[in-house]
Amino acid sequence: MQIDTIIHIEDWFFLLEGAGLTIVLCLQAMFFGILIGLVVGVARTAKTRLIELPATAYVTVVRGTPLLMQLFIIYYCLPLFGINMPKFLSAALGLSFYTGAYVGEIIKAGLQSVDVGQREAARSLGMVSWQEFRYIVLPQALRVIIPPTFGFLIALVKDSSLVSIIGYIELTRASKLVVARTFKPFTLYLGAAVLYFVLCYGLSRFDVGYLRKRFSANLAEA
Amino acid sequence: MEEGVYSLIDVKEVHKFFGSLHVLRGISLSVQKGEVLVVIGPSGSGKSTLLRCINGLEAIDGGEVLVEGKKVNPHSRDVHKLREQVGFIFQRFNLFGHLTALENITLAPRLVKKMSSAEANEIGLRWLVQVGLSDKAKAYPAQLSGGQQQRVAIARAMAMSPKALLMDEITSALDPELVNEVLEVVTVLARQGMTMIVVTHEMGFARNVGTRVIFMDEGKVVESGLPEEIFDHPKQPRTNAFLNKVLSH
Repeated sequence: MQIDTIIHIEDWFFLLEGAGLTIVLCLQAMFFGILIGLVVGVARTAKTRLIELPATAYVTVVRGTPLLMQLFIIYYCLPLFGINMPKFLSAALGLSFYTGAYVGEIIKAGLQSVDVGQREAARSLGMVSWQEFRYIVLPQALRVIIPPTFGFLIALVKDSSLVSIIGYIELTRASKLVVARTFKPFTLYLGAAVLYFVLCYGLSRFDVGYLRKRFSANLAEA
Repeated sequence: MEEGVYSLIDVKEVHKFFGSLHVLRGISLSVQKGEVLVVIGPSGSGKSTLLRCINGLEAIDGGEVLVEGKKVNPHSRDVHKLREQVGFIFQRFNLFGHLTALENITLAPRLVKKMSSAEANEIGLRWLVQVGLSDKAKAYPAQLSGGQQQRVAIARAMAMSPKALLMDEITSALDPELVNEVLEVVTVLARQGMTMIVVTHEMGFARNVGTRVIFMDEGKVVESGLPEEIFDHPKQPRTNAFLNKVLSH
């Protein structure tokens, strides 16, 4: 029986498809991760222990354990409790919770970076809490939050390769599958690495070119 | 109540604790419309705390604070309405760093008084002219000197047309050569009839602009009187001791 070990053009398209799924997965994780992060970040600065404690526990646990373990727990252990989830959902959930903890800490730092004197000034002028938050705290906090959050996204693109282990077919998994058939790991993994590089480098150029200029934490603009 | 009969600001037997530290110990005072009340005293006497309690930035632990006859309660939902009436100038300016000078001044009128941008800009520019910074409308706080920032802070408070201004050592964080430009602005406001409570170490200013001076120590009013009385003929030994220390250099 002849096994086809040649890498065809279709195989490269398969890798590209995987790269596309990587992007989709990361965007979803960032979206839900930021939502979680907002709740967590604000909760972490709350004065009541009832709100602050769960948020702190969540952040500590997620940041203290490997992403791989978190993915395993979601995909392999939850079924033991009767919760069965498809690969995509496990991957998306795992990455979202992972992102939420890190972005939550970035958001907390950003909120705390706004000098309390400015909040007092806002209140002394008659502004109510939500106005103080929306017009004074948030704009200045965002300048501190956005650069590291974007940095996290770039790292997330690479971390997402771990979901290949639970079988979700993104870029890494796609390349593994073709290697299994063609026995050409060097070519294929190099190709995958190039694709990862294109994604990450593209994101970092956007960061430096547009985001940093627009959201720079340096407030002495001319 | 009859017009002009009640005080604009009333502090009645106010107590304030920070943990176990008894900062305000049953202090009482009244401020009438048009008065420029100067508060002097050593550090730790509670002067700043007093101002912050009048504004509702701090909650009091005893007694009451009345502004225009209404109780100030920081936990009530209407406290922001009271704060519209009483402006506060901070020692560290506290300008909004991400906004230009003009935007700093027009933000509250637009958000709180619901003014249109056009109206707010007009009022804002007028105040910038009055504080001598009409050419700095588009400057950001980081580009302004301390004296300029404080003048913008004064314009920002005045744009809300408050009934009274509270000034918490507004020149203490400034380089000496920048102090006068701020004091000049405040002097003009005082002459225009603005009601003020000014906590300051600037004795020359206190004597020239104050209509009444009180000396505070350990959370209470020790002595109160006209500037000439307090500075030239203090009755209390503690007042005398403080003035000797302050006026000797």
